[in-house]
Amino acid sequence: MAETVKLFVNGREVEVEAGKNLIDALRVVGIEIPHFCYHPALGADGNCRMCLVGIEDGRPPLVPACKTPAQPGMKVLLDDQKIRKIQRDIMELELINHPVDCPVCDQAGECRLQDYYMEYDLQDSRMRVPQVTKGKRMDFGCGVVHDQERCVLCARCVRFTRQITKTGELGIVNRSDQARVTIFPGRPLNNRYALNIVDICPVGAMTSRDFRFKQRVWFLQKDEGICHGCSTGCAIYIDHHREKNGDDVIYRYRARTNMQVNGYFICDAGRLSYKRENENRQDLTLVDGVVVDFEQGIAAALEKMNKARRPLLLVSPDATLEQMWAIKRIATFYGATLSGYSDAYRIDDDGDDFLISDDKAANRYSLELLEIDRDRESFQAALAHADLLVNFDNDLFFSPINESLQRLLGEQDRISVCSHQLPVFSGSSVILPCASPSEYGGSIINRHGVLQRFRRAVRRNADPRDILEITHLLGGAISSAERAWPGIRQSVPVLRSVEPEQIPVEGLLLNNSEERDVGP
Amino acid sequence: MRDRSQLQAAGQPFTFDAERNDEFERLCTRYPIRESMIMPALWLAQEQQGWISAEVIEYIAERLDTYPAKVYELATFYTMYHLRPVGTYHICVCRTLSCYLRDKQEIVDFITDEIGIKPGQVSEDGRFSLEEVECLGHCGTAPVVQINGEFHEEMNVEKLKAVLAHLD
Ligand code: SF4
Ligand code: SF4
Ligand code: FES
Ligand code: FES
Repeated sequence: MAETVKLFVNGREVEVEAGKNLIDALRVVGIEIPHFCYHPALGADGNCRMCLVGIEDGRPPLVPACKTPAQPGMKVLLDDQKIRKIQRDIMELELINHPVDCPVCDQAGECRLQDYYMEYDLQDSRMRVPQVTKGKRMDFGCGVVHDQERCVLCARCVRFTRQITKTGELGIVNRSDQARVTIFPGRPLNNRYALNIVDICPVGAMTSRDFRFKQRVWFLQKDEGICHGCSTGCAIYIDHHREKNGDDVIYRYRARTNMQVNGYFICDAGRLSYKRENENRQDLTLVDGVVVDFEQGIAAALEKMNKARRPLLLVSPDATLEQMWAIKRIATFYGATLSGYSDAYRIDDDGDDFLISDDKAANRYSLELLEIDRDRESFQAALAHADLLVNFDNDLFFSPINESLQRLLGEQDRISVCSHQLPVFSGSSVILPCASPSEYGGSIINRHGVLQRFRRAVRRNADPRDILEITHLLGGAISSAERAWPGIRQSVPVLRSVEPEQIPVEGLLLNNSEERDVGP
Repeated sequence: MRDRSQLQAAGQPFTFDAERNDEFERLCTRYPIRESMIMPALWLAQEQQGWISAEVIEYIAERLDTYPAKVYELATFYTMYHLRPVGTYHICVCRTLSCYLRDKQEIVDFITDEIGIKPGQVSEDGRFSLEEVECLGHCGTAPVVQINGEFHEEMNVEKLKAVLAHLD
């Protein structure tokens, strides 16, 4: 921790980081100060007044915690009767015109208004005049649906569009009880990060069209994950749920704070990429187009691999470091050529200077570290020469289909280990289903050289196997992600001292010197 | 307070005339923070066109390199900006505390009954429009009515009748 200061909260001494405001500083030591408008990424706005705290001997005696830096010796009052009264009064003010529609509100269960009401207020309404009514279900664009009546006018969403995306689509119009968040007529939200607004809105005023009414949040199991949408590797929460007798279904991804990778936000495309995990999955094992048991599929693959004289193994740039290592090992075992060719995972000029990267592969960096060939020419030459292609979930047609490649593939005997039904895998003589990123764990390294580890989040009824397990069944030596590490450490100098279990949550920056240019 | 967020389109793009354009450029040098120019710019546009149309907001946002939503915020916050064409005589009745306590509602009700317009409306013949506004800064002589910029203090229905009778 940086420089610290000692101060008192309700008479108890605590030591917190210097320079931070009271909300952030005290949160670290487990003291929550209620607030709506403050958000660490957006700064203090001081408009909601929910965070007022008392300062004994202070001048003035009441201050907004979001705008008050922690000072040595400060005596902060939080549990005082006077402060409680203020919090109750603010709650009452917020609730004057708020429709109490928690039973049908998507935010129920993660709504600050609801939480604070339960904690501080619990009063019946004293309002005897009709409530002010405002717009409902307003389509703000980019899949954001706004309910003006539920809004507490904290302006977080407005500040997000002005400070973070610099697109400024939102504003608060009118004044007093008519004030409302809106777009300029005819100019809806139009940026690639808009759904973060749903995350940062402290109440149910901003909801996601995609998620609305699909699931109650308290039924969701929230696991930590890493987005595989591009080489930035944003930290996410994977929210999923298994109905009784049903399959485990992912309902949404949300941004998870990681200051080393993505800060507080993720892009909309990455957020909606959870659909990929649910849809179009390859569940069946096929040999020559006939459905067989998984074991039979493995046996068929083994037979082909043992017979092949010039096998070519293809790795996906989305695979984990451990999976890549395991595939590299069986390539040696079979005397096979190994390629990580994956030009298709790149979309030129799609990236921006915030999070989105041109490179849509999650772990291309590791291909380079493991010295796996990524060259197009040598891949095509090897393909023309090979008598068997074993494709480990590499979608060569990720971006528009390359016809010469397609022709070459069509002539080749192929085994596909794949998580999804994609054109690139069709026509394979053996198809073995495998797990998709939410269903396995491992390590990936983002484009800036940050090594992050993630754990398995989802278990399905027809539980697909991790590629790593499949390589083991195909004769590979590596039987688990842990077993991959001694070999990885030995062959990759920058990983020599890495203990996978000790990689911090925010990841490990491998190379603080220059940014490495990792080409395909 | 009325909802003022229903913008109207004038149906043609807005640009400052030569005189307003000069004034706009002159004022720009006085405002180091560009967005502080939103209010004077709105005022100039209103002087020229008589009211603030959707096109005015877009034009000003473009001139000041800011977001239309931001200009929209200010135009709807301040009642001095007319978001639709007003009548020949624009009557502003203060609705804030001092005036409220001293029976501004009687004045508003009288106008509604006599002229047939509610706050935010224009009479059919286009002679009168009515707006309830925030504190006009004459609380000591409440209630206060402003007609085309001219203040009438310590108003009541009788006095208003007389004032209206003197308008041509
Ligand atoms: S919509 Fe949500 S984030 Fe935006 S001002 Fe209202 S409460 Fe705050
Ligand atoms: S920027 Fe890339 S890694 Fe981050 S959420 Fe978007 S697609 Fe996923
Ligand atoms: S969080 Fe401090 S005033 Fe809103
Ligand atoms: S309250 Fe009406 S002039 Fe101030």
